[in-house]
Amino acid sequence: MVATKKTKKTHESINNRLALVMKSGKYTLGYKTVLKTLRNSKGKLILISNNCPPLRKSEIEYYAMLAKVMVHHYSGNNVDLGTACGKFHRVSCLSIIDPGDSDIIKALAGDN
Amino acid sequence: MVKFLKPNKAVVLLHGRFAGHKATIVKNYDDGTRERPYGHCLVAGVAKYPSKVIRKDSAKKQAKKSRVKAFIKLVNYTHIMPTRYTLDVDLKDVVSPDALVSRDKKVTACKEVKAKFEERFKTGKNRWFFSKLRF
Repeated sequence: MVATKKTKKTHESINNRLALVMKSGKYTLGYKTVLKTLRNSKGKLILISNNCPPLRKSEIEYYAMLAKVMVHHYSGNNVDLGTACGKFHRVSCLSIIDPGDSDIIKALAGDN
Repeated sequence: MVKFLKPNKAVVLLHGRFAGHKATIVKNYDDGTRERPYGHCLVAGVAKYPSKVIRKDSAKKQAKKSRVKAFIKLVNYTHIMPTRYTLDVDLKDVVSPDALVSRDKKVTACKEVKAKFEERFKTGKNRWFFSKLRF
């Protein structure tokens, strides 16, 4: 699988969209709640940091495959993802339940 | 956004005595009950897997090797790993929550589940379900 070079522009736009979701939408942070939202089919988009342990990453991807939910591998580690969410702690995975005013789901779906 | 924890879904138990054993969901309780205020499900699974049957075996030996021991359990969603497989065995009338009330009801329910599982194993379908997960 060829990893596409993430240009700075698209990365910034994802950060912007994430900020909008944090402000206006519904989301949960953290592995346990991500699995919970996948099980009850509330999650619409999952973001995983790049230093998430591979077993955990595969598990989330498998659940998302069963639930037919898109997973986005955030280009940045959990520190960066936490910062992008506006939090002062690390975030390894997060689940967007309701994007609010943001078009992050359409933008990422359009990319793929 | 598709619900995948549905009846007939094959799952692997992660915790407890039957950790690593495969089971199939019989009934879901997504919002929990008064006694169990969390998402859980009633599963029927394989307690003792059937051994490998080879062509050389006599009929009596084949019958002995194809025995399956079943279990019925109420298990939390966080303690199961769902898989992409399903097991289409009709267990709804056999397995019900009141089978878990008393021991002899549980034993009779398990015996019926065992019969259904053995019947399915002998047809050769769902081979993944009846093979032991090695870890």
